[in-house]
Amino acid sequence: MPASSLEKDVAEILIDETTLQAKVAELGARISADYHDRQVTLVSVLKGALPFMADLMRSISLPVRIDLMEVSSYGGATETSGQVRILKDLSSSIEGEDVLIVEDIIDTGLTLHYVTEYLRGKDPASLAICTLLDKPARRLVDIDIAYLGFEIPDRFVIGYGLDYGEIYRNLPYIGVLRPEVYGGE
Amino acid sequence: MSEAPVFAHASEAELARILDYYKVEWQYEPHVFPIRWNSEGVVVESFAPDFYLPELELHIELTTLKQSLVRKKNRKLRHLRELYPMVRIKLFYARDFRALLLKYGRLDAAASLIGIDGQPPPRRGEAASGTAGGGVPVGSGSAGSGAADG
Repeated sequence: MPASSLEKDVAEILIDETTLQAKVAELGARISADYHDRQVTLVSVLKGALPFMADLMRSISLPVRIDLMEVSSYGGATETSGQVRILKDLSSSIEGEDVLIVEDIIDTGLTLHYVTEYLRGKDPASLAICTLLDKPARRLVDIDIAYLGFEIPDRFVIGYGLDYGEIYRNLPYIGVLRPEVYGGE
Repeated sequence: MSEAPVFAHASEAELARILDYYKVEWQYEPHVFPIRWNSEGVVVESFAPDFYLPELELHIELTTLKQSLVRKKNRKLRHLRELYPMVRIKLFYARDFRALLLKYGRLDAAASLIGIDGQPPPRRGEAASGTAGGGVPVGSGSAGSGAADG
């Protein structure tokens, strides 16, 4: 479905493409300065952070490794029991590596809390968090964010990797989904 | 093994399931905070937040019922924060809980989890469990020890 046909479902553009790319460049420059002369391993949790990580890595002027994880989600495929589990683990060891977790959005913090603890158990040399969006309205777990793109209000956002029902990830900006689309108020 | 708590509302059971899923330890109404005393120093009102997350040192109170009850809850919460400023507590309103359901693709269950529909019907012939009505059981997490009032 072409991105333009998705735009009828967008109530407003919260962060436009130009602003997004400027922020990505800024974060990349800060990361490059902070990790100067070191190699960084970017770890992204599928799928939402993919566009952000793809752009971020190209803004970093250091040796960069990338790796991907997938973690099950509550409610996904009718999962309302059991516990979170790793669906796709890292493909390489991070022992002794400087690791930067790259997230699309931090909401309750529950998933990131689990991922952080999991990765900490693999003995990286350092572990930090970079997120494009921070939505603290319903935060349950305090998260130490080393690199933050934008703090956003309590709106349901889509685009630039973020989805509703696996759709809208390919929008080039962060938009607010029309409540009628998801039966909201 | 501790006995599973009986929740007063389906939304509490759902939150417990979410916390269990993400391996966050919780306790149900373990702490009761006195918030009002009479002239003789006798406690006349207390507040027992729904959940305590010991690893995070955070209390959570869910309020998904009608507005008049929300106002009462807000007042209690205000008193608690004034009297116990070191106690960390987060209040989830119906809109917050609904947003959580949306986040986890469970919005279709909202009607049965929020408001009056989420309250269990009183059961005949059974002793009260210490909560309103018969309660909603869940089979994981850890049971609280405090008496519910809030």
